Amino acid sequence: MSRELSVMMLTWEFPPRIIGGISPHVYNLSRSLAKNGVKVYVVTCDFPGAPQHETVDGVEVYRTDSYKNPSPDFATWVYLMNVNMQKEAAAIVRSLDGKVDVFHAHDWLVATAGIGLKHVFRRPFFATMHSTEIGRRNGLHFDYERMIHETEAWLTYEAWKVICCSDYMVSHVRWAFGLPEDKLIMVPNGVNTEVYSKNGKGDLSQFRRRFALPEEKIILFVGRLVYEKGIHVLVNAIPKVLEKANAKLVIVGNGYMKDQLSSLVGRIGLANKVMFTGFVDDDTLRKLQVCADVSVVPSLFEPFGIVALEAMAARSPVVVSDTGGLSEIVEHDVSGVKAYVDNPDSLAWGITKVLIDDGYANWIRTNAYKRVQEKYNWNRIAQQTKNIYNNVLNEYSKSFWAQPIAESSQEG
Amino acid sequence: MRELAVKLVKNGIETHVVTYHDYLTGQFEDTDGVKTVRIANPVRIHIGVLTWVLTLNQEVERVAANVYYDASKQVDLIDAYDWHFIPAAVTLKKALNIPFIYSVESLEEHRAHGANTPFNMAIKSIEWLGMFEAAKLLVKSDWMRDEIVRMHKVPPQKIKVISPKSTHWIKSILEAYKCVAGGITAR
Repeated sequence: MSRELSVMMLTWEFPPRIIGGISPHVYNLSRSLAKNGVKVYVVTCDFPGAPQHETVDGVEVYRTDSYKNPSPDFATWVYLMNVNMQKEAAAIVRSLDGKVDVFHAHDWLVATAGIGLKHVFRRPFFATMHSTEIGRRNGLHFDYERMIHETEAWLTYEAWKVICCSDYMVSHVRWAFGLPEDKLIMVPNGVNTEVYSKNGKGDLSQFRRRFALPEEKIILFVGRLVYEKGIHVLVNAIPKVLEKANAKLVIVGNGYMKDQLSSLVGRIGLANKVMFTGFVDDDTLRKLQVCADVSVVPSLFEPFGIVALEAMAARSPVVVSDTGGLSEIVEHDVSGVKAYVDNPDSLAWGITKVLIDDGYANWIRTNAYKRVQEKYNWNRIAQQTKNIYNNVLNEYSKSFWAQPIAESSQEG
Repeated sequence: MRELAVKLVKNGIETHVVTYHDYLTGQFEDTDGVKTVRIANPVRIHIGVLTWVLTLNQEVERVAANVYYDASKQVDLIDAYDWHFIPAAVTLKKALNIPFIYSVESLEEHRAHGANTPFNMAIKSIEWLGMFEAAKLLVKSDWMRDEIVRMHKVPPQKIKVISPKSTHWIKSILEAYKCVAGGITAR
Protein backbone atom coordinates (compact mmCIF):
# COMPACT_ATOMS: atom_id res chain seq x y z
CA MET A 1 0.00 0.00 0.00
CA SER A 2 1.59 3.24 -1.12
CA ARG A 3 -0.60 5.82 0.59
CA GLU A 4 -0.98 5.96 4.35
CA LEU A 5 -3.35 3.68 6.19
CA SER A 6 -6.59 5.41 7.14
CA VAL A 7 -9.23 4.50 9.69
CA MET A 8 -12.60 5.95 10.57
CA MET A 9 -13.40 5.57 14.29
CA LEU A 10 -17.00 5.68 15.39
CA THR A 11 -17.62 6.57 19.01
CA TRP A 12 -20.55 8.12 20.84
CA GLU A 13 -18.19 10.08 23.11
CA PHE A 14 -14.96 11.94 22.46
CA PRO A 15 -13.47 14.80 24.52
CA PRO A 16 -14.86 17.22 25.56
CA ARG A 17 -17.88 14.88 25.67
CA ILE A 18 -16.91 12.44 28.44
CA ILE A 19 -19.45 9.99 29.82
CA GLY A 20 -17.37 6.93 30.53
CA GLY A 21 -14.13 5.23 29.60
CA ILE A 22 -14.67 5.10 25.83
CA SER A 23 -13.95 8.80 25.37
CA PRO A 24 -10.39 8.83 26.79
CA HIS A 25 -9.73 5.43 25.19
CA VAL A 26 -10.62 6.59 21.67
CA TYR A 27 -8.83 9.91 22.20
CA ASN A 28 -5.56 8.28 23.26
CA LEU A 29 -5.76 5.47 20.70
CA SER A 30 -6.50 7.90 17.87
CA ARG A 31 -3.70 10.37 18.62
CA SER A 32 -1.22 7.54 19.12
CA LEU A 33 -2.25 5.98 15.80
CA ALA A 34 -1.79 9.40 14.18
CA LYS A 35 1.72 9.60 15.64
CA ASN A 36 2.37 6.21 14.05
CA GLY A 37 1.49 7.48 10.60
CA VAL A 38 -2.14 6.40 10.45
CA LYS A 39 -4.70 8.87 9.15
CA VAL A 40 -7.51 8.87 11.70
CA TYR A 41 -11.01 10.25 11.24
CA VAL A 42 -13.14 10.23 14.38
CA VAL A 43 -16.90 10.56 13.93
CA THR A 44 -18.68 11.27 17.20
CA CYS A 45 -21.68 13.03 18.74
CA ASP A 46 -21.78 16.80 18.95
CA PHE A 47 -21.24 18.65 22.20
CA PRO A 48 -22.13 22.20 23.23
CA GLY A 49 -19.25 24.52 22.34
CA ALA A 50 -17.19 21.90 20.51
CA PRO A 51 -16.65 22.55 16.79
CA GLN A 52 -18.26 20.37 14.12
CA HIS A 53 -14.88 19.68 12.60
CA GLU A 54 -11.43 20.15 14.10
CA THR A 55 -7.97 18.63 14.04
CA VAL A 56 -6.86 17.39 17.47
CA ASP A 57 -3.26 16.16 17.75
CA GLY A 58 -3.28 15.15 14.10
CA VAL A 59 -6.68 13.46 14.32
CA GLU A 60 -9.58 14.70 12.18
CA VAL A 61 -12.60 14.93 14.48
CA TYR A 62 -16.12 15.28 13.08
CA ARG A 63 -19.00 15.91 15.48
CA THR A 64 -22.33 14.94 13.99
CA ASP A 65 -25.76 16.15 14.95
CA SER A 66 -26.96 13.66 17.54
CA TYR A 67 -30.73 13.22 17.76
CA LYS A 68 -31.96 16.01 20.03
CA ASN A 69 -35.74 15.61 20.16
CA PRO A 70 -37.02 13.90 23.28
CA SER A 71 -36.61 10.13 22.87
CA PRO A 72 -38.84 7.34 24.15
CA ASP A 73 -35.84 5.73 25.92
CA PHE A 74 -32.04 5.58 25.82
CA ALA A 75 -31.75 2.64 23.41
CA THR A 76 -34.14 4.20 20.89
CA TRP A 77 -32.12 7.41 21.11
CA VAL A 78 -28.99 5.40 20.33
CA TYR A 79 -30.53 3.98 17.14
CA LEU A 80 -31.86 7.41 16.11
CA MET A 81 -28.49 9.04 16.77
CA ASN A 82 -26.89 6.32 14.62
CA VAL A 83 -29.11 7.32 11.67
CA ASN A 84 -27.53 10.78 11.72
CA MET A 85 -24.04 9.54 12.46
CA GLN A 86 -24.15 7.07 9.59
CA LYS A 87 -25.56 9.63 7.17
CA GLU A 88 -22.86 12.17 7.97
CA ALA A 89 -20.05 9.59 8.09
CA ALA A 90 -21.11 8.35 4.63
CA ALA A 91 -20.90 11.91 3.30
CA ILE A 92 -17.43 12.34 4.84
CA VAL A 93 -16.12 9.13 3.28
CA ARG A 94 -17.52 10.20 -0.07
CA SER A 95 -15.91 13.63 0.26
CA LEU A 96 -12.59 11.79 0.77
CA ASP A 97 -13.14 9.88 -2.49
CA GLY A 98 -13.71 6.74 -0.47
CA LYS A 99 -10.15 6.84 0.90
CA VAL A 100 -10.95 5.24 4.23
CA ASP A 101 -9.42 1.79 4.57
CA VAL A 102 -11.19 0.47 7.66
CA PHE A 103 -14.06 1.30 9.99
CA HIS A 104 -13.68 0.82 13.74
CA ALA A 105 -16.71 0.99 16.08
CA HIS A 106 -16.55 1.26 19.87
CA ASP A 107 -19.37 -0.58 21.65
CA TRP A 108 -22.97 -1.20 20.57
CA LEU A 109 -23.69 2.54 20.87
CA VAL A 110 -22.44 2.95 17.29
CA ALA A 111 -23.15 -0.59 16.06
CA THR A 112 -25.79 0.17 13.45
CA ALA A 113 -23.88 3.10 11.93
CA GLY A 114 -20.75 0.96 11.65
CA ILE A 115 -22.49 -2.08 10.18
CA GLY A 116 -24.19 0.01 7.50
CA LEU A 117 -20.94 1.79 6.55
CA LYS A 118 -19.15 -1.53 6.28
CA HIS A 119 -21.63 -2.78 3.71
CA VAL A 120 -22.17 0.33 1.62
CA PHE A 121 -18.43 0.96 1.28
CA ARG A 122 -17.37 -2.70 1.56
CA ARG A 123 -14.48 -2.17 3.92
CA PRO A 124 -13.06 -4.23 6.80
CA PHE A 125 -14.87 -3.47 10.02
CA PHE A 126 -13.56 -3.70 13.59
CA ALA A 127 -15.39 -3.58 16.90
CA THR A 128 -13.94 -2.91 20.32
CA MET A 129 -16.17 -4.31 23.04
CA HIS A 130 -15.57 -2.20 26.13
CA SER A 131 -18.36 -3.84 28.09
CA THR A 132 -21.41 -6.02 27.57
CA GLU A 133 -25.05 -5.66 28.54
CA ILE A 134 -25.07 -9.13 30.03
CA GLY A 135 -22.07 -8.20 32.19
CA ARG A 136 -23.35 -4.77 33.19
CA ARG A 137 -26.73 -6.13 34.25
CA ASN A 138 -25.46 -9.46 35.51
CA GLY A 139 -27.79 -11.36 33.17
CA LEU A 140 -30.58 -10.45 30.75
CA HIS A 141 -33.82 -9.74 32.56
CA PHE A 142 -35.94 -7.59 30.24
CA ASP A 143 -36.56 -7.27 26.50
CA TYR A 144 -34.75 -3.93 26.63
CA GLU A 145 -31.59 -5.68 27.78
CA ARG A 146 -32.07 -8.59 25.38
CA MET A 147 -32.38 -6.15 22.48
CA ILE A 148 -29.09 -4.48 23.40
CA HIS A 149 -27.48 -7.88 23.86
CA GLU A 150 -28.62 -8.95 20.38
CA THR A 151 -27.34 -5.70 18.92
CA GLU A 152 -23.95 -6.42 20.52
CA ALA A 153 -24.05 -9.95 19.13
CA TRP A 154 -24.82 -8.56 15.67
CA LEU A 155 -21.94 -6.10 15.97
CA THR A 156 -19.45 -8.85 16.87
CA TYR A 157 -20.87 -10.99 14.04
CA GLU A 158 -20.34 -8.24 11.46
CA ALA A 159 -16.86 -7.29 12.70
CA TRP A 160 -13.84 -8.82 11.03
CA LYS A 161 -12.04 -8.81 14.37
CA VAL A 162 -13.35 -8.06 17.83
CA ILE A 163 -10.94 -6.26 20.15
CA CYS A 164 -11.14 -6.50 23.95
CA CYS A 165 -8.96 -4.80 26.53
CA SER A 166 -8.20 -7.78 28.77
CA ASP A 167 -7.97 -11.57 28.57
CA TYR A 168 -10.90 -11.63 30.95
CA MET A 169 -13.05 -9.62 28.51
CA VAL A 170 -11.91 -11.82 25.61
CA SER A 171 -13.26 -14.91 27.32
CA HIS A 172 -16.35 -13.08 28.56
CA VAL A 173 -17.22 -11.77 25.07
CA ARG A 174 -16.46 -15.16 23.55
CA TRP A 175 -18.85 -16.78 25.99
CA ALA A 176 -21.55 -14.11 25.69
CA PHE A 177 -21.80 -14.20 21.88
CA GLY A 178 -20.39 -17.64 21.04
CA LEU A 179 -17.59 -16.25 18.89
CA PRO A 180 -14.79 -18.30 17.32
CA GLU A 181 -11.51 -17.94 19.18
CA ASP A 182 -9.55 -16.49 16.27
CA LYS A 183 -11.99 -13.61 15.89
CA LEU A 184 -11.01 -12.08 19.22
CA ILE A 185 -7.87 -10.09 19.90
CA MET A 186 -6.67 -8.68 23.20
CA VAL A 187 -5.20 -5.21 23.06
CA PRO A 188 -4.80 -3.68 26.51
CA ASN A 189 -6.13 -0.32 27.52
CA GLY A 190 -3.42 2.26 28.00
CA VAL A 191 -2.55 4.96 30.46
CA ASN A 192 -0.74 8.24 30.02
CA THR A 193 2.22 8.40 32.39
CA GLU A 194 3.13 11.98 31.37
CA VAL A 195 0.10 13.56 33.03
CA TYR A 196 1.30 12.19 36.38
CA SER A 197 4.96 13.12 36.07
CA LYS A 198 3.87 16.75 35.58
CA ASN A 199 1.94 16.66 38.85
CA GLY A 200 4.64 14.85 40.77
CA LYS A 201 7.09 17.74 40.45
CA GLY A 202 5.78 20.42 42.81
CA ASP A 203 5.37 20.25 46.56
CA LEU A 204 2.01 18.66 47.25
CA SER A 205 2.03 18.83 51.05
CA GLN A 206 -0.26 21.84 51.08
CA PHE A 207 -2.64 20.10 48.67
CA ARG A 208 -2.48 16.92 50.73
CA ARG A 209 -3.63 18.73 53.85
CA ARG A 210 -7.04 19.31 52.27
CA PHE A 211 -7.66 15.58 52.59
CA ALA A 212 -5.64 14.24 55.52
CA LEU A 213 -3.54 15.24 58.52
CA PRO A 214 0.20 15.23 57.82
CA GLU A 215 0.72 12.16 60.03
CA GLU A 216 -2.12 10.21 58.36
CA LYS A 217 -1.38 7.95 55.40
CA ILE A 218 -3.85 8.30 52.52
CA ILE A 219 -5.79 5.27 51.35
CA LEU A 220 -7.42 6.22 48.05
CA PHE A 221 -10.48 4.83 46.32
CA VAL A 222 -11.52 6.19 42.91
CA GLY A 223 -14.65 5.02 41.11
CA ARG A 224 -18.39 5.11 40.84
CA LEU A 225 -20.05 4.40 44.18
CA VAL A 226 -21.93 1.33 42.99
CA TYR A 227 -22.23 -2.16 44.40
CA GLU A 228 -19.92 -3.95 41.97
CA LYS A 229 -17.01 -1.65 42.88
CA GLY A 230 -16.96 -3.15 46.39
CA ILE A 231 -16.43 0.08 48.36
CA HIS A 232 -18.40 -1.39 51.27
CA VAL A 233 -15.78 -4.14 51.52
CA LEU A 234 -13.05 -1.52 51.72
CA VAL A 235 -14.89 0.47 54.41
CA ASN A 236 -15.28 -2.71 56.45
CA ALA A 237 -11.54 -3.34 56.16
CA ILE A 238 -10.56 0.06 57.59
CA PRO A 239 -10.93 -0.72 61.35
CA LYS A 240 -8.43 -3.55 60.96
CA VAL A 241 -6.00 -1.30 59.11
CA LEU A 242 -6.25 1.35 61.83
CA GLU A 243 -5.05 -1.14 64.43
CA LYS A 244 -1.63 -1.04 62.75
CA ALA A 245 -1.41 2.29 60.93
CA ASN A 246 -2.76 5.80 61.17
CA ALA A 247 -4.56 6.46 57.92
CA LYS A 248 -7.41 8.26 56.18
CA LEU A 249 -9.63 6.72 53.52
CA VAL A 250 -10.42 9.16 50.71
CA ILE A 251 -13.32 8.11 48.49
CA VAL A 252 -13.55 9.89 45.13
CA GLY A 253 -16.63 9.50 42.96
CA ASN A 254 -20.36 9.41 43.15
CA GLY A 255 -23.11 6.89 42.78
CA TYR A 256 -26.32 5.45 44.09
CA MET A 257 -24.55 3.87 47.11
CA LYS A 258 -23.31 7.16 48.52
CA ASP A 259 -25.92 7.44 51.30
CA GLN A 260 -25.65 3.77 52.26
CA LEU A 261 -21.88 4.06 52.43
CA SER A 262 -21.81 7.19 54.54
CA SER A 263 -24.26 5.64 57.00
CA LEU A 264 -22.07 2.53 57.12
CA VAL A 265 -19.08 4.75 57.88
CA GLY A 266 -20.97 6.46 60.70
CA ARG A 267 -22.20 3.19 62.12
CA ILE A 268 -18.76 1.68 62.54
CA GLY A 269 -17.41 4.92 64.01
CA LEU A 270 -15.11 5.97 61.17
CA ALA A 271 -16.56 9.42 60.46
CA ASN A 272 -13.19 11.10 61.15
CA LYS A 273 -11.23 8.53 59.15
CA VAL A 274 -13.21 8.48 55.89
CA MET A 275 -13.71 11.39 53.53
CA PHE A 276 -16.12 11.51 50.58
CA THR A 277 -15.02 14.06 47.99
CA GLY A 278 -17.69 13.43 45.34
CA PHE A 279 -16.59 14.13 41.75
CA VAL A 280 -13.31 16.01 41.46
CA ASP A 281 -11.68 17.63 38.42
CA ASP A 282 -8.88 15.90 36.51
CA ASP A 283 -6.11 17.94 38.06
CA THR A 284 -7.21 17.25 41.64
CA LEU A 285 -7.69 13.57 40.86
CA ARG A 286 -4.19 13.22 39.45
CA LYS A 287 -2.62 15.02 42.39
CA LEU A 288 -4.55 12.79 44.78
CA GLN A 289 -3.34 9.71 42.95
CA VAL A 290 0.24 10.98 43.24
CA CYS A 291 -0.21 11.70 46.98
CA ALA A 292 -1.90 8.41 47.83
CA ASP A 293 0.15 6.08 50.02
CA VAL A 294 -1.95 3.22 48.73
CA SER A 295 -4.68 3.00 46.05
CA VAL A 296 -7.28 0.33 46.54
CA VAL A 297 -9.50 -1.25 43.86
CA PRO A 298 -11.79 -3.62 45.78
CA SER A 299 -14.13 -4.43 42.83
CA LEU A 300 -16.44 -7.44 42.83
CA PHE A 301 -16.76 -7.26 38.99
CA GLU A 302 -14.23 -5.46 36.80
CA PRO A 303 -13.87 -5.87 33.00
CA PHE A 304 -10.58 -3.98 32.91
CA GLY A 305 -9.77 -1.77 35.91
CA ILE A 306 -8.24 1.35 34.37
CA VAL A 307 -8.13 3.05 37.77
CA ALA A 308 -5.52 0.54 38.96
CA LEU A 309 -3.36 1.38 35.94
CA GLU A 310 -3.73 5.09 36.61
CA ALA A 311 -2.57 4.59 40.18
CA MET A 312 0.41 2.59 38.96
CA ALA A 313 1.27 5.35 36.50
CA ALA A 314 1.05 7.85 39.38
CA ARG A 315 3.54 5.66 41.29
CA SER A 316 1.03 4.87 44.00
CA PRO A 317 1.22 1.28 45.32
CA VAL A 318 -1.98 -0.66 44.50
CA VAL A 319 -4.04 -3.20 46.38
CA VAL A 320 -6.67 -4.85 44.17
CA SER A 321 -9.17 -7.65 44.44
CA ASP A 322 -8.16 -10.69 42.43
CA THR A 323 -10.86 -10.56 39.75
CA GLY A 324 -11.47 -9.81 36.05
CA GLY A 325 -9.01 -7.47 34.38
CA LEU A 326 -7.39 -6.58 37.71
CA SER A 327 -5.98 -10.10 38.00
CA GLU A 328 -4.06 -9.51 34.78
CA ILE A 329 -2.88 -5.96 35.46
CA VAL A 330 -1.34 -6.73 38.84
CA GLU A 331 1.26 -9.38 39.57
CA HIS A 332 1.08 -10.22 43.25
CA ASP A 333 4.05 -9.10 45.36
CA VAL A 334 5.69 -7.66 42.24
CA SER A 335 3.57 -4.82 40.87
CA GLY A 336 0.90 -4.71 43.55
CA VAL A 337 -1.00 -6.69 46.14
CA LYS A 338 -3.91 -8.96 45.27
CA ALA A 339 -6.54 -9.62 47.89
CA TYR A 340 -9.37 -12.14 47.94
CA VAL A 341 -12.57 -10.81 46.36
CA ASP A 342 -15.25 -9.60 48.78
CA ASN A 343 -13.00 -10.23 51.79
CA PRO A 344 -12.36 -7.26 54.17
CA ASP A 345 -9.73 -9.17 56.18
CA SER A 346 -7.69 -9.99 53.12
CA LEU A 347 -7.99 -6.39 51.89
CA ALA A 348 -6.94 -5.04 55.34
CA TRP A 349 -3.92 -7.33 55.33
CA GLY A 350 -2.81 -6.05 51.91
CA ILE A 351 -3.33 -2.38 52.77
CA THR A 352 -1.51 -2.72 56.10
CA LYS A 353 1.44 -4.46 54.49
CA VAL A 354 1.90 -1.59 52.05
CA LEU A 355 1.42 1.12 54.69
CA ILE A 356 3.83 -0.19 57.32
CA ASP A 357 6.61 -1.51 55.09
CA ASP A 358 8.10 1.36 53.06
CA GLY A 359 10.64 -0.91 51.38
CA TYR A 360 7.88 -3.17 50.11
CA ALA A 361 5.75 -0.21 48.97
CA ASN A 362 8.69 1.20 47.00
CA TRP A 363 9.43 -2.16 45.45
CA ILE A 364 5.92 -2.61 44.05
CA ARG A 365 5.54 1.02 43.06
CA THR A 366 8.76 0.90 41.02
CA ASN A 367 7.90 -2.40 39.35
CA ALA A 368 4.34 -1.24 38.62
CA TYR A 369 5.53 1.95 36.97
CA LYS A 370 7.92 0.00 34.76
CA ARG A 371 5.14 -2.45 33.83
CA VAL A 372 2.80 0.38 32.90
CA GLN A 373 5.39 1.97 30.65
CA GLU A 374 6.15 -1.32 28.91
CA LYS A 375 2.77 -2.93 28.47
CA TYR A 376 0.16 -0.21 28.82
CA ASN A 377 1.94 2.37 26.77
CA TRP A 378 -0.32 4.02 24.18
CA ASN A 379 2.37 4.08 21.56
CA ARG A 380 2.79 0.34 21.83
CA ILE A 381 -0.98 -0.18 21.82
CA ALA A 382 -1.29 1.96 18.68
CA GLN A 383 1.36 -0.15 16.96
CA GLN A 384 -0.48 -3.33 17.92
CA THR A 385 -3.72 -1.88 16.59
CA LYS A 386 -2.06 -0.76 13.38
CA ASN A 387 -0.72 -4.28 12.88
CA ILE A 388 -4.21 -5.69 13.32
CA TYR A 389 -5.56 -3.31 10.67
CA ASN A 390 -2.75 -4.21 8.27
CA ASN A 391 -3.13 -7.96 8.78
CA VAL A 392 -6.84 -7.77 8.09
CA LEU A 393 -6.32 -5.50 5.07
CA ASN A 394 -3.99 -8.15 3.73
CA GLU A 395 -6.67 -10.83 4.13
CA TYR A 396 -9.24 -8.44 2.70
CA SER A 397 -7.14 -7.70 -0.38
CA LYS A 398 -7.66 -11.31 -1.45
CA SER A 399 -11.44 -11.14 -1.04
CA PHE A 400 -13.88 -10.21 -3.81
CA TRP A 401 -14.84 -7.13 -1.83
CA ALA A 402 -11.44 -5.64 -2.58
CA GLN A 403 -12.00 -5.74 -6.35
CA PRO A 404 -13.95 -2.49 -6.82
CA ILE A 405 -11.24 -0.63 -4.92
CA ALA A 406 -8.55 -2.02 -7.20
CA GLU A 407 -10.58 -0.80 -10.20
CA SER A 408 -11.06 2.69 -8.89
CA SER A 409 -7.42 3.09 -7.86
CA GLN A 410 -6.42 2.22 -11.43
CA GLU A 411 -8.75 4.89 -12.70
CA GLY A 412 -7.35 7.47 -10.33
CA MET B 1 -45.84 -2.56 -5.27
CA ARG B 2 -46.04 -5.81 -7.18
CA GLU B 3 -48.01 -4.23 -10.02
CA LEU B 4 -45.55 -1.36 -10.28
CA ALA B 5 -42.50 -3.64 -10.26
CA VAL B 6 -43.92 -5.88 -12.99
CA LYS B 7 -44.83 -2.89 -15.14
CA LEU B 8 -41.38 -1.39 -14.70
CA VAL B 9 -39.82 -4.63 -15.91
CA LYS B 10 -42.16 -4.62 -18.91
CA ASN B 11 -40.91 -1.13 -19.68
CA GLY B 12 -37.35 -2.41 -19.81
CA ILE B 13 -36.22 -1.27 -16.36
CA GLU B 14 -34.18 -3.69 -14.28
CA THR B 15 -36.08 -3.78 -11.00
CA HIS B 16 -34.95 -5.04 -7.60
CA VAL B 17 -37.34 -5.02 -4.65
CA VAL B 18 -35.93 -5.01 -1.10
CA THR B 19 -38.49 -5.96 1.51
CA TYR B 20 -39.02 -7.73 4.81
CA HIS B 21 -38.78 -11.51 5.07
CA ASP B 22 -41.91 -13.02 6.56
CA TYR B 23 -40.30 -16.43 7.14
CA LEU B 24 -42.74 -18.18 4.79
CA THR B 25 -40.94 -17.07 1.66
CA GLY B 26 -37.38 -17.59 0.52
CA GLN B 27 -34.72 -14.94 0.69
CA PHE B 28 -34.59 -14.44 -3.07
CA GLU B 29 -37.30 -14.56 -5.66
CA ASP B 30 -37.25 -13.89 -9.38
CA THR B 31 -40.73 -13.86 -10.86
CA ASP B 32 -41.93 -11.96 -13.91
CA GLY B 33 -38.46 -10.48 -14.10
CA VAL B 34 -38.77 -8.78 -10.72
CA LYS B 35 -35.90 -9.67 -8.41
CA THR B 36 -37.00 -9.61 -4.81
CA VAL B 37 -34.66 -9.79 -1.81
CA ARG B 38 -36.23 -10.38 1.57
CA ILE B 39 -34.40 -9.47 4.72
CA ALA B 40 -34.93 -10.41 8.35
CA ASN B 41 -33.95 -8.39 11.40
CA PRO B 42 -30.71 -9.66 12.98
CA VAL B 43 -31.91 -8.24 16.29
CA ARG B 44 -34.78 -10.56 17.13
CA ILE B 45 -36.03 -8.94 20.33
CA HIS B 46 -37.37 -5.41 20.37
CA ILE B 47 -39.06 -2.93 22.65
CA GLY B 48 -41.06 -1.26 19.88
CA VAL B 49 -41.65 -0.78 16.20
CA LEU B 50 -39.14 2.06 16.08
CA THR B 51 -36.15 0.02 17.26
CA TRP B 52 -37.27 -2.80 14.95
CA VAL B 53 -37.39 -0.53 11.91
CA LEU B 54 -34.15 1.27 12.70
CA THR B 55 -32.11 -1.92 13.03
CA LEU B 56 -33.72 -3.39 9.89
CA ASN B 57 -32.30 -0.48 7.88
CA GLN B 58 -28.74 -1.81 8.02
CA GLU B 59 -29.91 -5.02 6.38
CA VAL B 60 -31.60 -2.92 3.70
CA GLU B 61 -28.28 -1.15 3.17
CA ARG B 62 -26.43 -4.45 3.03
CA VAL B 63 -28.60 -6.05 0.34
CA ALA B 64 -29.02 -2.79 -1.61
CA ALA B 65 -25.22 -2.43 -1.65
CA ASN B 66 -25.01 -6.03 -2.88
CA VAL B 67 -27.34 -5.17 -5.77
CA TYR B 68 -25.25 -2.08 -6.50
CA TYR B 69 -21.89 -3.86 -6.55
CA ASP B 70 -23.26 -6.90 -8.43
CA ALA B 71 -24.59 -4.52 -11.09
CA SER B 72 -21.12 -2.94 -11.49
CA LYS B 73 -22.31 0.12 -9.58
CA GLN B 74 -25.11 0.77 -12.05
CA VAL B 75 -28.08 1.60 -9.89
CA ASP B 76 -29.74 4.76 -11.13
CA LEU B 77 -32.51 5.32 -8.65
CA ILE B 78 -34.00 4.20 -5.35
CA ASP B 79 -37.72 4.55 -4.71
CA ALA B 80 -38.46 4.36 -0.96
CA TYR B 81 -42.01 3.70 0.18
CA ASP B 82 -42.97 5.48 3.38
CA TRP B 83 -40.65 6.32 6.28
CA HIS B 84 -39.42 2.86 7.26
CA PHE B 85 -36.40 2.64 4.97
CA ILE B 86 -35.64 6.35 4.68
CA PRO B 87 -32.47 6.06 6.81
CA ALA B 88 -31.11 3.44 4.40
CA ALA B 89 -32.10 5.51 1.34
CA VAL B 90 -30.31 8.56 2.77
CA THR B 91 -27.12 6.64 3.58
CA LEU B 92 -27.09 5.00 0.14
CA LYS B 93 -27.49 8.41 -1.45
CA LYS B 94 -24.67 9.97 0.60
CA ALA B 95 -22.34 7.00 0.20
CA LEU B 96 -22.97 5.80 -3.34
CA ASN B 97 -24.47 8.89 -4.96
CA ILE B 98 -27.74 7.16 -5.85
CA PRO B 99 -30.62 9.65 -5.86
CA PHE B 100 -33.88 8.59 -4.29
CA ILE B 101 -37.58 9.25 -4.60
CA TYR B 102 -39.72 9.19 -1.48
CA SER B 103 -43.17 7.79 -2.22
CA VAL B 104 -45.32 9.06 0.60
CA GLU B 105 -48.22 6.73 1.33
CA SER B 106 -49.27 8.21 4.64
CA LEU B 107 -48.00 10.56 7.34
CA GLU B 108 -47.40 10.00 11.03
CA GLU B 109 -49.40 13.13 11.85
CA HIS B 110 -52.53 11.49 10.35
CA ARG B 111 -51.82 7.97 11.58
CA ALA B 112 -51.27 9.21 15.14
CA HIS B 113 -54.30 11.53 15.07
CA GLY B 114 -52.16 14.46 16.12
CA ALA B 115 -50.39 12.71 18.99
CA ASN B 116 -46.91 14.08 19.51
CA THR B 117 -45.10 11.76 21.92
CA PRO B 118 -41.33 11.23 21.55
CA PHE B 119 -42.24 8.11 19.53
CA ASN B 120 -44.33 10.11 17.03
CA MET B 121 -41.72 12.86 16.92
CA ALA B 122 -39.03 10.37 15.97
CA ILE B 123 -41.08 9.06 13.05
CA LYS B 124 -41.95 12.57 11.93
CA SER B 125 -38.28 13.52 12.02
CA ILE B 126 -37.47 10.54 9.79
CA GLU B 127 -40.25 11.61 7.40
CA TRP B 128 -38.78 15.10 7.38
CA LEU B 129 -35.30 13.73 6.70
CA GLY B 130 -36.68 11.77 3.75
CA MET B 131 -38.45 14.82 2.35
CA PHE B 132 -35.33 16.94 2.72
CA GLU B 133 -32.94 14.43 1.16
CA ALA B 134 -35.20 13.00 -1.56
CA ALA B 135 -34.85 14.27 -5.11
CA LYS B 136 -38.62 14.15 -5.50
CA LEU B 137 -41.71 13.13 -3.57
CA LEU B 138 -44.46 11.09 -5.19
CA VAL B 139 -47.93 11.21 -3.68
CA LYS B 140 -51.31 9.90 -4.76
CA SER B 141 -53.53 12.93 -4.27
CA ASP B 142 -53.53 16.72 -4.29
CA TRP B 143 -54.70 16.56 -0.69
CA MET B 144 -51.58 14.65 0.37
CA ARG B 145 -49.37 17.11 -1.49
CA ASP B 146 -51.01 20.02 0.31
CA GLU B 147 -50.66 18.29 3.69
CA ILE B 148 -46.95 17.73 3.10
CA VAL B 149 -46.47 21.34 2.09
CA ARG B 150 -48.43 22.48 5.14
CA MET B 151 -46.70 20.27 7.71
CA HIS B 152 -43.17 19.88 6.45
CA LYS B 153 -42.83 23.06 4.37
CA VAL B 154 -41.67 21.16 1.32
CA PRO B 155 -41.65 23.29 -1.85
CA PRO B 156 -44.72 22.18 -3.85
CA GLN B 157 -42.72 21.81 -7.06
CA LYS B 158 -40.71 19.03 -5.37
CA ILE B 159 -43.89 16.94 -5.05
CA LYS B 160 -45.50 15.12 -7.94
CA VAL B 161 -49.08 13.87 -7.72
CA ILE B 162 -49.71 10.61 -9.57
CA SER B 163 -53.12 9.09 -9.05
CA PRO B 164 -53.12 5.29 -9.13
CA LYS B 165 -56.45 5.53 -10.96
CA SER B 166 -54.97 7.59 -13.76
CA THR B 167 -54.64 5.93 -17.16
CA HIS B 168 -51.18 7.48 -17.39
CA TRP B 169 -50.15 5.98 -14.04
CA ILE B 170 -47.07 4.01 -15.13
CA LYS B 171 -46.15 6.61 -17.75
CA SER B 172 -46.15 9.37 -15.11
CA ILE B 173 -44.04 7.28 -12.75
CA LEU B 174 -41.52 6.56 -15.50
CA GLU B 175 -41.34 10.26 -16.28
CA ALA B 176 -40.66 11.06 -12.65
CA TYR B 177 -37.98 8.35 -12.49
CA LYS B 178 -36.26 9.62 -15.62
CA CYS B 179 -36.34 13.15 -14.39
CA VAL B 180 -34.52 12.16 -11.16
CA ALA B 181 -32.18 9.51 -12.55
CA GLY B 182 -31.20 11.92 -15.30
CA GLY B 183 -29.15 13.65 -12.68
CA ILE B 184 -31.21 16.81 -12.47
CA THR B 185 -31.27 16.92 -8.68
CA ALA B 186 -28.71 14.25 -7.86
CA ARG B 187 -25.52 15.38 -6.19
